[in-house]
Amino acid sequence: MTKYQMIVDLDRCQGCRACMEACKIENNTTEGTFWMYVFRLEEGVYPDAKLSFLPRPCQHCEDAPCVKVCPVGARFKRDDGLTLTDYERCIGCRYCELACPYGVNYFNWEKPEDRTYGDWSDPDLEPITGGLNPPWSNPALAEPQGPEQRMTAGGGHHKGVMEKCTFCVHRVDRGEVPACVETCPVEALRFGDVDDEGSPISRYIREHDHFRLLDDLGTKPSVVYVGGQPPSDEAHEIELVKARVER
Amino acid sequence: MTTTLGDAGTTPTRATGPGLPQGIGKLTRGWTLFMAVTLAASLFGVYAFFYQQANGEIVTGMRDVGTMRGAPWGLYIAFLVYFVGVSFAGITIAALIRLFNLERLRPLARMAELLTVVSLVLGTLAILADLGQPVRGVINLFRYARPQSPFFGTFTLVIAGYLFASVVYLYLGSRRDAAIMAKESTRLQGLHRFVAAGYKDTAAERGRHETATFWLALAIVPMLVVAHSTLGFVFGLQIGRPGWFSALQAPAFVVLAGVSGIGLLIVLAAVVRRACGEQESLDEYVFSWLGRLLAVLTITYLYFVVTEVLTATYGGGGRENDVTDAMLSGRYAWIFWGSMALFGASLVGLLIQILTKRWSIGALVAIGLAVNLAAVGKRFLIVVPSQTDGMLLPYETGSYSPTWVEYGVVIGLIAMGAAAIGIFMKLIPIVELPEEADTRVT
Amino acid sequence: MVTRRGFVGGAAASTAGVYVGSDLLFGGSEILSPATANSLAAVAEDVVRTTCWIGKQDCGMLARRVNGRVVKFDGDPANPRNVGTLCPKGQAQIVSIYDPNRVKTPLVRTNAKGVSGEWRKASWAEALTMVADQVNEVRSRNPKMVLWQKGRSKAKSFYDDAFVKAIGSSKLGHGAYCSDAGYRALEYTLGLHGVIHPDFEHTNYLLGWGWNITNAGGNKFCWLTWPRQMVAARERGLKIVHIDPRLRSAGPFADTWVSIRPGTDLALALALSNVLIEDGNIDVDYLTKYTNAPYLVGDDGLFLRVDELPQVWDQAAGGPVVAADATTPALEGTYEIDGESYKTGFTTWKDHVAGYTPEWAEDICDIPADRIRTIGHDFGEAASIGSTTVVDGVEVPLRPAAIMAYHMAQQELGFQALRAMTMVNMMVGSVGAAGGAFSDFTWKIHKNYEAFEKLAVEDPPYDFLLNHSKYFPINTGFPAILAKVMNDPDKYEVEDVPEVAILHMVNPLASFPSQPEFLESYPKFKFVAVISPWLNETADYFADVVLPAATVEKYEGPISATDQYIDATTMRIPAMDPLFESKGEIDIYLDLTEEIGVLYGEDGYLAQVNAALKLEEPFALPLDTKPTPREILDRWSKAQGLDKGIEYFEENGVLLKGRIDAAKRYGYATDPPFGGALHRLYGESLLKAQSEMKAKGAEETYWRDYTALPTWRAPTMEESPAEYDQYLISYHQVENKQSRTGFVPLLAELTPRQHLDMNPAAARAKGLDDGQEVTVESHNAVTGETRRITTHIAYTESIRPDTVAMPHHFGLWSHPTSRGRGPSPNEIYFTGEGYMTNTADQSFHVKVKVEST
Repeated sequence: MTKYQMIVDLDRCQGCRACMEACKIENNTTEGTFWMYVFRLEEGVYPDAKLSFLPRPCQHCEDAPCVKVCPVGARFKRDDGLTLTDYERCIGCRYCELACPYGVNYFNWEKPEDRTYGDWSDPDLEPITGGLNPPWSNPALAEPQGPEQRMTAGGGHHKGVMEKCTFCVHRVDRGEVPACVETCPVEALRFGDVDDEGSPISRYIREHDHFRLLDDLGTKPSVVYVGGQPPSDEAHEIELVKARVER
Repeated sequence: MTTTLGDAGTTPTRATGPGLPQGIGKLTRGWTLFMAVTLAASLFGVYAFFYQQANGEIVTGMRDVGTMRGAPWGLYIAFLVYFVGVSFAGITIAALIRLFNLERLRPLARMAELLTVVSLVLGTLAILADLGQPVRGVINLFRYARPQSPFFGTFTLVIAGYLFASVVYLYLGSRRDAAIMAKESTRLQGLHRFVAAGYKDTAAERGRHETATFWLALAIVPMLVVAHSTLGFVFGLQIGRPGWFSALQAPAFVVLAGVSGIGLLIVLAAVVRRACGEQESLDEYVFSWLGRLLAVLTITYLYFVVTEVLTATYGGGGRENDVTDAMLSGRYAWIFWGSMALFGASLVGLLIQILTKRWSIGALVAIGLAVNLAAVGKRFLIVVPSQTDGMLLPYETGSYSPTWVEYGVVIGLIAMGAAAIGIFMKLIPIVELPEEADTRVT
Repeated sequence: MVTRRGFVGGAAASTAGVYVGSDLLFGGSEILSPATANSLAAVAEDVVRTTCWIGKQDCGMLARRVNGRVVKFDGDPANPRNVGTLCPKGQAQIVSIYDPNRVKTPLVRTNAKGVSGEWRKASWAEALTMVADQVNEVRSRNPKMVLWQKGRSKAKSFYDDAFVKAIGSSKLGHGAYCSDAGYRALEYTLGLHGVIHPDFEHTNYLLGWGWNITNAGGNKFCWLTWPRQMVAARERGLKIVHIDPRLRSAGPFADTWVSIRPGTDLALALALSNVLIEDGNIDVDYLTKYTNAPYLVGDDGLFLRVDELPQVWDQAAGGPVVAADATTPALEGTYEIDGESYKTGFTTWKDHVAGYTPEWAEDICDIPADRIRTIGHDFGEAASIGSTTVVDGVEVPLRPAAIMAYHMAQQELGFQALRAMTMVNMMVGSVGAAGGAFSDFTWKIHKNYEAFEKLAVEDPPYDFLLNHSKYFPINTGFPAILAKVMNDPDKYEVEDVPEVAILHMVNPLASFPSQPEFLESYPKFKFVAVISPWLNETADYFADVVLPAATVEKYEGPISATDQYIDATTMRIPAMDPLFESKGEIDIYLDLTEEIGVLYGEDGYLAQVNAALKLEEPFALPLDTKPTPREILDRWSKAQGLDKGIEYFEENGVLLKGRIDAAKRYGYATDPPFGGALHRLYGESLLKAQSEMKAKGAEETYWRDYTALPTWRAPTMEESPAEYDQYLISYHQVENKQSRTGFVPLLAELTPRQHLDMNPAAARAKGLDDGQEVTVESHNAVTGETRRITTHIAYTESIRPDTVAMPHHFGLWSHPTSRGRGPSPNEIYFTGEGYMTNTADQSFHVKVKVEST
């Protein structure tokens, strides 16, 4: 049976955040929402300072705390390892967000269409975009996905529902890799079926030292980190993005 | 009995009021003013709620954890926990009174039951206020209920089973008194007949009534333990939240629930004593009993707090310490130490009265309010710091401060509760009518 | 979907009660989801192959479209430059296509220049006529007084070449703010157009000298191609010595961090040569055969010449011989010839660097002498002098030690610093060797190589760029000098200054130091036409007419897609019609030249395009009919032997010409070797220029760095008072490129606010906290002028305590997205004497003091 996992090669990652942008455009996520986030971390003291980068997609845990706590089964696991959110069932209690140790959940605090990086109601755009908001939004994201035929793809659907990284379910179901993996300029991100012994990703994991984030919590993440080390307690963020949404 | 009926029949034009006990039906100035204030506050709460529905929870102080550096759970959940706690105390007392036939405490029973029902309703509303999609919540929480989720115990179970049981329980009690009062021909007679629903309070009926309530009381006890423990689990089982993952959560919850519930019961009892002229039934014994119980629970709770803090400070890892530090010495210290001071002062006040055996209702009311304030503070601390300061990945520390919308909704809820009790008092005796009740004013 | 949103929107506007209902029925519930509404729309998906526009290296892109509307850009896997990947800018640029804040129609100014503009919409016809009339009026007197200025040009043949030639205007680029001092140094030293970069397929030991690995590209590429090759090289064992005041630029990829003091790179380079010579890590064969090191240099610093021909000491002949005829030239030695003593160029160099020991450099660069010695030693050993390897069947010398130094040129001593770094490579013979030092992707000798043999220093009057002047015998063409000249022509002995400017994809006011010069000079233009997708800062203050250019949605090309190993070409093909009333620049120039009256006929624009694109019969454009850009590119494609013409690119995106032949890639292997250029170790013509400059009365500040051999002196900024105790340097962020990315909200989200990187210890010593607002005051050591900006401290341990750093790309105000994000370091840099190189290139160094506001 297929089991999708992602590899993050910390010996390659340059912290460029192209993955974050690819994710935003592909999934139409709103301002301040980073389904894929890349930490830029610094520790140590001059001249022994140390820099590191840490991409953080949803870990798609095999034993996902968020799935356990969801009171309505809107957050669920798929056989192929994807942890998805049914944005048509979610009641917006945000319990999944509390349960997740990785901080990957993003709630629609207000109408998504008010958080699309600009005012797209310009009449001059109407003939070109048909008033779409945002103009690059992809209708594929509003289709039911996979054999389960549930509404799980993309973001910015409704106010008051939870959304998060889907491993680009709408692409994966079409045999494509997630947008972040596809765009990574240095191929620090890889994606594939670990159930297939012969798959490149299986070999890559076998051949490299690796770790999983907060492994001791027993969540069994589907994201495997190659090279580098887990972030130390001293590591702190530099170059913060504009992350807090305000009215 | 028949005479009463007869008399009632001969005086059909008799005005409401003087005939009924506990000032039922009488619209006093104080009561009207109280209702005006509480209803106004309730309306404000309703406005705040719909304002939030229209604009989204961006109008609250809540935000995502992680990159957004906020807290997705805030005041609403803190008060949910608080309200459900109050209900626990209410139903426990009521059950104890029935199970052990504590006759001298019987006057407290209905208040306790009423407190339970009202606070459960408020808890439910607090949940709805918190949901991003409340309408979906009402449907999906039942349509797709998942018992595996600790939330099930809190939301679905509490809303459905627990609340239902308590309502039935309250009703069974009230029915008897309604039947008794229905014998009076008053403007409320219709209502009382309806509530009584054919119950005539004959000896046989009363026998059945007693057994039914006894067994129902027995049935409710395990249900409420489950409900409150799961409420503890909602937090206690979260591996990913430093400050939450603790076996103590459930018991600590239950005890603090008792503290706040009994505190409110004292306040309510004092009010009823004055407003309904129940000086004889709600005598010093009743209050001293409540006072002693409150003292015991407060001591137990403080013990839990100490052990929790100790485990956190000595046992806890790096991130665990961040949360404890924020609470003990950081941005949340004022809430923590404030609550602790209130608990401490209350305990001292109680111990003095216990030792001197001289009880002051005024002092007890003050203490009742104090421990509730402290309880709210503690609920806040259980909910918030673990979110803002408890991320396990190197996110920046977060922050949360409620907005007027959240305060509005919470104040509105409390006001609704008060109003509901106020109305109840004017319709059904809030102090159970004694056996062989003579409803006529002598 | 539209109707639903409409409904919900309306409901939300009405009472909350109604809203909840509508949310249940239409927004939130499973009863009717937006999906159902959505899926009603028939969806036609397709892909257009095009190239990135927002950056510098024009990566290949696949534009994913739904019903003709672009929904996403993906990297084109067929393009060797980016192999299916894109950087954050490439991903985010989709927003700029639809940006309603773009210039939608031609605009005509209605208020005075020099302040924020007020505009009226105009038709293309009206706007083009206005520009044409102004251009023609000036052309009739002196076409050179029309200035075409570019920031970036993405179809050089159409713009820089054809258009400029067709109207006979002057032209000006952005290089003086980039790395042109390095280009000049390499053109001078190796004859190649470029700075220096490694051969990642073979390099084992790399001096990442100011290389902003994780944020900026380096030579020729804007970013991602170099990092791709770097991580691959590291996986086979490449070691990187990161020489930079900041560690952040290299991130985790530095094996060693040498935190050098800003502005002292020349000193370190000289010390490294000292170590190489001391260790004997010298490639005698290379230096003797391929450089002018054996030339005999007299006490006057000039070569011994007979009939103009430089002489070498031939050991066999035991006397001086014309270099070309010598069979056994001596690399080293001092020789008596007719009573005069002559040293070889190499011996002169050896004596020159003898004093530049690691111990000498230690205090200047603030690097321990033993570390410098270690690096020099390791570099020399890694070069494995004498070894060879076989690449693609061709045997070439193997010298896997190299330097990546690009923006190192952006300092007062940039020209000589880059010469000195190149000479470090020359010592070990790694120039053009496998794993060694490269400058361009070919060994085509640049015309400047010959031109620099005799540097013309003419008498005034000079042209407004001061070409061939006593100020800049080597002259990049410096917009700030243009500004200074316009502000005071007499000072620079200039008679005519330009009257009309056509500004092409350039934003001098925001992007170039320094603002005061531009604020004073550009309003002096009688007429300014700006061709830009946005009403940028320069347009806002100076434009008379703004012509709306398309962003990525246009035809442009041909575009090189090489990664330096594979030869490939691509095209920019519009994934949508240009939005609003904007047009692609090629269209604009076709229309403009037609309006000016120089489109058709001999020497017309079309003829110039034929020349620039080398279009000959049968592919040449007829000179009497106006083609579309697609037709032109179609002819070019056919001229390349592609029968399908432009359709080939529309179908395949990129034309792959295969791996570049090793005999073309490696200088040793080319025929003639190194493209036939004799590498100039000894810069005789520089010294000659110096004496001519002196003779013509140029001040020392202009001639002091015209020395035959790179010679250390303390940069001018060191003369600032001690209270200006911090060096300000600036850097490039991967999220930004020039000013256009400042208009993209997704990128603004990633880089929300300007900040000042500062070492926490240094900051605390001044009582400055992390995040605190501070003023940064710079001081001009020549004029005494001071400038200030306000920004916020950002603590970082990965910077020298005596250095503060700021990213560029801020200080914009013309777009809602760019406003209020803090100042640009350009606002406190100085330009001109003391803050530019001897080749008229900007220095991005200044001494500052940081104080709490």
